[in-house]
Amino acid sequence: MRGLRSPAMAALLLGAGVASAQGPTSSPPTPAGSEATGAPVTASPATATPTAPAETTPAAPGATPAFDVENLFASTCGWCHSDGGRAAGRGPKLMDSPLTDAEMAYRIKAGKQGAMPAFGSSFNDEQIKAIVQYARNLKPAGSAPN
Amino acid sequence: MNSRQVSVAGVVAASMFLGVCPSAGAIGPSDAIDAKRLADADNNPADWLTYHGTYKSWHYSGLDQINAGNIKDLKVAWSHATPRSTRGLQSFPLVADGILYYSGSHNQVFALDGATGELIWAYKQRLDEDLVSKQTHSPYNRGIALGNGNIYMGTLDGKLVAIDMKTGKLKWETPLVDSKKLTVGFVGAPLFADGKVIIGSQGGEWPYRGPIFGVDGDSGKKLWTFMTAGGNDGEESDARKTWGGDSWKTGGGGGWMAGGYDPKSNTVYWGTANPSPLYDWGGADWKTKGARSGDNLYTSSVLALDPASGKLKSFHQQLPHDAWDFDSAVGEFVMLEKDGKEYIVHPNKSGFVFVYDRALKVQNVWQGVKNVNFVKSIEPKTGELVGRRDMAEGKHQALCPAIPGGYSWNAGSYNPNTGLYYKVGNEWCMDLEVVKTTPILEPMAQLNIGSNFTLNKTNPDGTAPHGHVSARDPLTGAVKWSVDYPQPPLASLLSTKGNLVFVPDARGWLRVHDAESGKELWSHNNGQGHAGGIISYMAKGKQYIAVAVGWGSLVGDEFKALYGEPFVSMPIDQGTLVVFGM
Repeated sequence: MRGLRSPAMAALLLGAGVASAQGPTSSPPTPAGSEATGAPVTASPATATPTAPAETTPAAPGATPAFDVENLFASTCGWCHSDGGRAAGRGPKLMDSPLTDAEMAYRIKAGKQGAMPAFGSSFNDEQIKAIVQYARNLKPAGSAPN
Repeated sequence: MNSRQVSVAGVVAASMFLGVCPSAGAIGPSDAIDAKRLADADNNPADWLTYHGTYKSWHYSGLDQINAGNIKDLKVAWSHATPRSTRGLQSFPLVADGILYYSGSHNQVFALDGATGELIWAYKQRLDEDLVSKQTHSPYNRGIALGNGNIYMGTLDGKLVAIDMKTGKLKWETPLVDSKKLTVGFVGAPLFADGKVIIGSQGGEWPYRGPIFGVDGDSGKKLWTFMTAGGNDGEESDARKTWGGDSWKTGGGGGWMAGGYDPKSNTVYWGTANPSPLYDWGGADWKTKGARSGDNLYTSSVLALDPASGKLKSFHQQLPHDAWDFDSAVGEFVMLEKDGKEYIVHPNKSGFVFVYDRALKVQNVWQGVKNVNFVKSIEPKTGELVGRRDMAEGKHQALCPAIPGGYSWNAGSYNPNTGLYYKVGNEWCMDLEVVKTTPILEPMAQLNIGSNFTLNKTNPDGTAPHGHVSARDPLTGAVKWSVDYPQPPLASLLSTKGNLVFVPDARGWLRVHDAESGKELWSHNNGQGHAGGIISYMAKGKQYIAVAVGWGSLVGDEFKALYGEPFVSMPIDQGTLVVFGM
């Protein structure tokens, strides 16, 4: 992993419900139960209703693994935002983004159909703020830390 | 009438209910799409009954009304504007008895008169839109399957549905994957074989175990599950031992494209996706260290499965411990016979093509793209990887091919008249920094890539990233001709008995090459890029070519940064099915 580049980066390590990059996951993988029943449902108006949302597992009380945005790019965001957000790829370059902080936060939360998934239920406001902060602090690769 | 079904052209719809087909005459029970008709499909080129054309997966049409001599007169016959075409139109039309069926984004399905394009019915799956908005590999659909009077489709939210092909009404839906938890669902086409519907889930980048399912085609009952990462629970298998610790639980896998089928041995062939994370910081010590030490069965493999039980008959892992995202899920299982011997030809995303016997024993391996350095070579007799480039934590320059692959999911075409296999190859590379990541499972699964990466503007051989369509001997890879394209075409190819190869390209041109020489014979601009299927069929005695038009795939999204215009300005929410005839 790239070393932290600035004091601002260190501030991004916030408590979160996502797994830590440095340690084991707070909740072990639970693939069992992730498979649906497989029972066919005959079409009828009643069954046309989508099934009720599954209970999501909240972060365990007291478990506050760090929220490492830089690592999040290597697992998730970097699929589209190349070089940790420094270069355009499938998605736009985030370094020097023309969006305001509020616009960027909204885009992370609500997504953009056909381009960007909505992360509003994956990350809380504090975490989204940290992601925006990360993007704002991006410097070209190889540049001196500020 | 079901609220999901949009009925138009009442007279046409009424005639359908009376069992009278408007374009192909009466359809009786003898016209049912059953095992016999599907197995005989090569003898009836008027139809295009399965995703890969027929069970031989040739993507070839035996029609020759349109041929090298008269191609100059080819014109648009009709078109159908696809609503809600988010991420373009990536699907593959099918035709039975003169009626064309195709799927669009958001799990829509349309039935059209193949001769006129008149809409017969449209089906809109009621989706969990909130979930769809959270998905990365979404909301496109790549295709459907026909069988027993049904259209089968996998949904973005993890179901297999059966739609009555005459009425467009939903018959049943079977939940297979908990997409709310796993984020992914289905985008690939199912395969109808031996009365069963086989479909593989997305996986690869995702921290789960990429199941493939078998479902009874009549009742919708789930018959079996095959977990591609680590094998099934409670079954005797060495697969789990090929994963360090519990890494199999989040190992990726999946089987996101339609497989193949050999009716003679009643065997389904399916390619599986890469393991997760894609890039493993274990580097050269991958046998004992890293995120997922070991071979990681059954990822980046080809499987031979019994369609009724899902039992594994045989398999070959193309890339043990795939550390480059070069899955085996892409591409067709081309069934060939030569000198009394039966073969299967199957491309891998790495840019290599594997030639097997029907028991998946390696017969040959050949390289179809130039820019390759993830291995020095692959031993053609055994399939063994020679000189692996395993990348430990840190920065690495110019990995070739880049993440979109030397081959992508767009299918090639085998033409029995020329004996040539036509395939799009991609030449591109990328820089990456491998990073230690941890799977994110809560509150819902997130991608687990394991690196940051950037595609290179120049390849190590000095060329710009580009593509080519090559015509080769499918068993040896010997090149007959090759044509460069400035950007890799992302759509599938079609070859025909009329000595033609159709290439729907990225810039929006549908180009036709002479199948023997590669010479360009005809072109037409469809107004935006192609990233879906192309078929030929016959309706009311006339041959047609149908091509999916619509830009905006995950690979296509890379083109903005790589190539600039026209891709920066090309819409990614428009789709049209364009049909050509004489």
